[in-house]
Amino acid sequence: MTFPLYQNSNSRFANDSEQMSRRDFFSWAQTGLAGTALLDLLLKQKPLCAAAPVKTPQTATHFPPRVKRVIHVCLIGGLSHLDSFDYKPALKKLHGKIMPTEKKPETFFGQVGLLRKNDFEFQQRGKSGLWISELFPHIATQADELTLIRSMKAESANHTPATFQENTGFRLNGFPVLGAWLSYGLGCETDELPSFVVLPDVRGYPAAGTINWSNGFLPALHQGVPFQSEGPAIRDLFPGRKISNSTEVASRQLLNQFNQDHLERTGANSDLVARIRSHELAAKMQMAVPRVTDLSGETAATKALYGFDSEVTAPFARNCLLARRLLEQGVRFVQLFSGGPFGSPRINWDGHEDVKRNHLREAARIDQPVAGLLKDLRQRGMLDDTLVLFSTEFGRTPFTQSASDKVGTGRDHNMNGFSVWMAGGGLKHGISYGATDEFGWKSVEQPVAWHDYHATVLQLLGIDHTRLTYYHNGIERRLTNVHGEVIHDILA
Amino acid sequence: MEYIIGFGHVCQPYHPEMGNMLQYKLLSSNIRKNLAMRAGDRSCVAVTAIFWLTSAVFCQAEDFFQNKATFQTDFDRVLAPLIAGRCLDCHAGLDPKAGFDFSRRAAAFQGGENGPALQAGKPEESLIWQYIESDEMPPAHPLPAEEKQIFKQWIQAGAPWGTDPIDAFSKTTNKRGGYDWWSLQPLGETTVPHAPDQQTHRNPVDAFVRARLQEHGLQSQPRADRRTLIRRLFYSVIGLPPEPEEVEAFVNDRAPDAYEKLVDRLLASPHYGEHWARHWLDVVRFGESNGFERDQPRLNAWPYRNWVIQALNQDIPYDQFVRMQLAGDLLEPANPQAVIATGFLVAGPHDVVIPDSKDMRETMRQDELEDKIGVVSQTFLGLTVNCARCHDHKFDPISQQEYYQIAAALAGVEHGERDLPDPEYARAQQQLAESGRQLCELQAALFALESQARQRVMAGRTTSDKMDVPVSASSLIAAWDFQKSTQDLVGGLKSTLHGSARQNEQGLQLDGNGAFLQTEPLSQNLKEKTLEAWVKLSNLDQRGGGVMSVQTRDGNLFDAIVFGEQQPGHWLAGSNHFSRTKSFQGTPEQEAVEKEVQLVIVYHADGKIAAYRNGAPYGTAYQSSRIQSFSSGKTEVLFGLRHGSPGGNRLLKGIISKARLYDRALTPEEIEASAKWEGMFFSEEELTAVLTQSEQDSRQSLREERQRLQSEIKDLQTIQPTKVYAALSRNPGVSHLLRRGSVSAPAGIVKPGGLNAIKGVSGDLELAADSPDRDRRIKFANWVTDTQNPLFARVIVNRVWHYHFGQGLVNTPNDFGFNGGRCSHPELLDWLAVELIRNRWSLKSLHRLILMSATFQQSSEPNPDAMKVDADNQWLWRKSPQRVEAESIRDSILKVSGQLNSEIGGHGYQDVKSYFFKGTQFYEPLDPVGKEFNRRSIYRFSARGGRHPLLETFDCPDPSTTTPDRASTTTPLQALSLMNTSFVLRMSDLLAERVTQRAGSESQSQVTELFLLAFQRRPLPQEALMAREFLEQHGLPALCRVILNSNEFLYVN
Repeated sequence: MTFPLYQNSNSRFANDSEQMSRRDFFSWAQTGLAGTALLDLLLKQKPLCAAAPVKTPQTATHFPPRVKRVIHVCLIGGLSHLDSFDYKPALKKLHGKIMPTEKKPETFFGQVGLLRKNDFEFQQRGKSGLWISELFPHIATQADELTLIRSMKAESANHTPATFQENTGFRLNGFPVLGAWLSYGLGCETDELPSFVVLPDVRGYPAAGTINWSNGFLPALHQGVPFQSEGPAIRDLFPGRKISNSTEVASRQLLNQFNQDHLERTGANSDLVARIRSHELAAKMQMAVPRVTDLSGETAATKALYGFDSEVTAPFARNCLLARRLLEQGVRFVQLFSGGPFGSPRINWDGHEDVKRNHLREAARIDQPVAGLLKDLRQRGMLDDTLVLFSTEFGRTPFTQSASDKVGTGRDHNMNGFSVWMAGGGLKHGISYGATDEFGWKSVEQPVAWHDYHATVLQLLGIDHTRLTYYHNGIERRLTNVHGEVIHDILA
Repeated sequence: MEYIIGFGHVCQPYHPEMGNMLQYKLLSSNIRKNLAMRAGDRSCVAVTAIFWLTSAVFCQAEDFFQNKATFQTDFDRVLAPLIAGRCLDCHAGLDPKAGFDFSRRAAAFQGGENGPALQAGKPEESLIWQYIESDEMPPAHPLPAEEKQIFKQWIQAGAPWGTDPIDAFSKTTNKRGGYDWWSLQPLGETTVPHAPDQQTHRNPVDAFVRARLQEHGLQSQPRADRRTLIRRLFYSVIGLPPEPEEVEAFVNDRAPDAYEKLVDRLLASPHYGEHWARHWLDVVRFGESNGFERDQPRLNAWPYRNWVIQALNQDIPYDQFVRMQLAGDLLEPANPQAVIATGFLVAGPHDVVIPDSKDMRETMRQDELEDKIGVVSQTFLGLTVNCARCHDHKFDPISQQEYYQIAAALAGVEHGERDLPDPEYARAQQQLAESGRQLCELQAALFALESQARQRVMAGRTTSDKMDVPVSASSLIAAWDFQKSTQDLVGGLKSTLHGSARQNEQGLQLDGNGAFLQTEPLSQNLKEKTLEAWVKLSNLDQRGGGVMSVQTRDGNLFDAIVFGEQQPGHWLAGSNHFSRTKSFQGTPEQEAVEKEVQLVIVYHADGKIAAYRNGAPYGTAYQSSRIQSFSSGKTEVLFGLRHGSPGGNRLLKGIISKARLYDRALTPEEIEASAKWEGMFFSEEELTAVLTQSEQDSRQSLREERQRLQSEIKDLQTIQPTKVYAALSRNPGVSHLLRRGSVSAPAGIVKPGGLNAIKGVSGDLELAADSPDRDRRIKFANWVTDTQNPLFARVIVNRVWHYHFGQGLVNTPNDFGFNGGRCSHPELLDWLAVELIRNRWSLKSLHRLILMSATFQQSSEPNPDAMKVDADNQWLWRKSPQRVEAESIRDSILKVSGQLNSEIGGHGYQDVKSYFFKGTQFYEPLDPVGKEFNRRSIYRFSARGGRHPLLETFDCPDPSTTTPDRASTTTPLQALSLMNTSFVLRMSDLLAERVTQRAGSESQSQVTELFLLAFQRRPLPQEALMAREFLEQHGLPALCRVILNSNEFLYVN
């Protein structure tokens, strides 16, 4: 075990025989920290958390991980599976008919109009022949990379509880999101960047704002860090006003000296050591963040691939490219939001009024960037150990949200059946899993709940979802609550 | 061995059989060590399990079920615990696995999906035995041979049964806690152990701690030095550092009670309440916005925070403190503070986005209830009752039934703002009622007088039928003849034309495009009433336009004459969400485009609603749920707009020529007459002309009196109560148990109640299933706070200990159940609990006991030998150093810089830019400058979506979740935040100014002063040298910034 911290500093610590001896300190460090690398110890481990996963990826995972990192494209508002990834020819035949059901379908707004056919034509794509509509022409070219799940079901048809469930497994506020769990379970492969970065839609944060990337009851360091699109990407990355370089350097030196002296006087304390170390890491972060967010070194071809050349696609293209760069630097989880809050006029996928218009506009913003991201990751060999998630809180109804005798243009929320996809390492590619009924109203074959989905994501990362736990108020809490079955059929 | 039956008895040193410390020591050291560990550490559970099973299978298996006379006792003593421990986790309750319920005799014989399970006397033919023998059951945990043997013998003996049903909760097993669980047992009298070291122990707390230290071969540290002590005491009690003068005074105070005086002074400081209220708000997850999609701010939630601060400062007895929070509004309805206290019940998130589907709505409500039950049970009882929503609790003896009992007890609570009780307002309301009555009498007298006048006018008019006319004007409170003006001819109610609305000789012109007329608020209350209007429609296809509406000023509640909304072409009584109204099933309108029609809707006091068209009944009158009352000053009349803001299908296209509003239900005759005479109206001139002088005089004086009364009423109406975000109380009706927690699978009716497992208090609250909220919550609050409820005292004692030492005696302050931590010092915990009760639940007395102990005062110096034995310091061989909490960091920065605005209470400050964007309220952090923002952080407006960038990096928790035990993390983002945030840079400047003010311009004294302010000590020579060199090169503010970022500033020893 080495202590570069002390080797690099001019500490008098090693020579100070009046205080705890250096050997004592070493021996304390070993017993006190039970073999955890001292320099990685940023989290104060209370006795409670003693069973928490260790932070180094090699020892942390329960089985060999298939992927190391995750990008999550999170569509806010509810993507219509019927117009994108779940082809229902029956709707064409039954367009304008009443959906035959025993009782009136329960919907969010209570209006159950007549069935409506898909507004975007479907085609079989790639070698796999997956049916994907023309809503996503670019993503469709990547069909052979995708692992489609067409039998998702949610427990709420209310946006925010459903979004919470998509990200935390629970419908309520106060639970940690997937990114926070991964940060907690796997830590970060770099010291210089946060382990969980959020790239919000440039048009605004999703409804409920920062609650969407909360650490919940996990320690605060696991919450998502939203990158700002203007100024330094991270708040308080640099001093709030100009401070000369020499003062800045001298300040750090003096602070370090004070802290070292304090550590000697008070005796070994992992917290104090970690704080000394945190200042070093902060300095590294000040270098790393501007470096990773500076896209000027990317080639014109790469930028074109993502869609930098169009005003419509450029904002999401930037986020996708930034996500790739963050992953390259060792960030564990990058979450990209497509869509903001729910008021009118809409800036998300909530097509109550007119799915065609709404989805056309939203898809145009992200289709090429997401496809570009997949291609770029593939080209760089990163897709083999990266997981790309593309999901939405729920789908939309096969009937329109209109008077019962009308075919309207909008569709209501549908928690009973919808589609998501994954791509990347450890998955069977170019397949679809599960199915909804002939109308696309309910998942009927191999239904997948969010808990199953989360269990599968964790599995790909080498984590047994029943064993990634954090004690909180009586329960060893899990992302998957007390449920969750890994979908082995989609794993390679 | 007999008394070691699971953890319950082991952790309960007051058990009659255990008695005192001496007996306690008889337990093996292994067990004692494990006492302090959490159940999460499975090894310690295993140890217990072995003890338990050994006790159960104490004798040889052959001994059982051999003698008919002992069948029952054998079953109860040996088999029932085995079945409970090995089988009932799955095979009991509402939805037993494979449909097999092994807890009841009949069900056990009947079997489940796989057929009959037991063949008495024939093990080989019994499914149960087949599964057990083949190790198929219990899954993954096959039974040891002796246990198998017991099952076999039992079946062979004819499967005799004992107590029916088997209570799965009766005993603690290796998988779960039972009724014998330690924390559920009554508090006993505890003998303070004989202290091994009389000299240094200061109070009984130390005797308990020393006894335990000795067992582990540990020694406590000597007392800390005074500088350390005062800093520690300040942070522990008030969360702020002391001033240098206070430090010097204490250091130099040679009085033997110098420390004690300091303890008392700090406990008496109003800052004590601020600091400890912050702890409380963590636990109750107090946030000032709704969370979820909208996250709207709760602008009147802050009084609850202040109430907590004040209650702690006044040292309100803890049981009362809690009763107020659970039921203050019902216990003391006239006491505003008691109402404010119930802010606790609604401190959590609340979703206001309401789906149409009833199931979805009910699920949301159940989700919210679960959250509430979790906070209530964890906060006061240290039990996670919320885990029993879908099934019996997996770890603690809490049934699903009991979960729903508590749900029923709390089901009457709703979120929202309410009026605070206010005697002045109550008086004003009384006065209003009286004035209203007088006004009525006066109106009647005036009406009688004017009726005569109208008769006389009519006598002079050339009409064919003069007899039935004047009655129609009875009780008119407003009248409009739009063909002449928009003026109200009766009370002079002013009105405003909106959009393209115009008045001309045809009447009020409405184009359906934003046009409507709106009056000022009515000056009287309206309940029983009649709306009457003459209208011509532009077309018959239009849907939903309002002709005439009475609505609350916010547009949410209304009664209205509406055309074609629910049913095209039909006249309807409109109401908010059709909550009171439905179709009259009248005939479709066909004429109203060609000529105007008279429409009347009559609202009877009993809720009956009737409609008339051109003087004849329209469709069928019906009984509505209730009559809506509209209060004076808050109600207005609309023409052309159904309600609220213009938009959607609410606007009418047509012309209204006349309208009348009455404050009573007109009779059919009156309506017929009115139709006939087109709402005949008499002008002032006409009436005056036919009255005698004396009649005119008395009319004049009546009108003056009326005016006086009306203005009095207006004044009284300005007296409004204060609003607060606190529990709204309603009677929730009957609650049901929900199978698997699903709202679509209600099972039996559940009466409100508590838990059965807590010894000393009965969970049966003797409440009817439909009892009113008042009874439910008061009885529930009394049950929770009962002196006989051992958990109630244990939990708060542990919390207080936890904050003073950074770790509780039970290190899971919200969970005293099987999954929680074991108690490191059970006797101490109970002794303190008993002391707390003896001291009439005074928390300050509890603080005092703890703070006066040598254990609290000992040095934090690490001892390498002790480190090896007990690195986590659970035996308290030193005082563990603690990181200052987020809020205290900010408060301390303000304090040392001389900027802390120490105003107590009040409205608080908001350091976010709060804006509404597309349906969501967002809160963007700001760093505003000004005295009003330099208050202690507890006064910060705390929206769930508006966490503070500096505070949150230092582990200020998400206000959406209960946080009994804050994390203390160290991250680079934290370092960046404290180094770079503009707040710290600004405070560094101000600290520099303060230092200069106090110490002058000489750098050596500046350095000394800075150290005294921030660290409560003088710099060491080496430090002074470095600091001075730095100061001279980079300036004092830069040095201040370094000091504010230093570890010494952030940690307390």
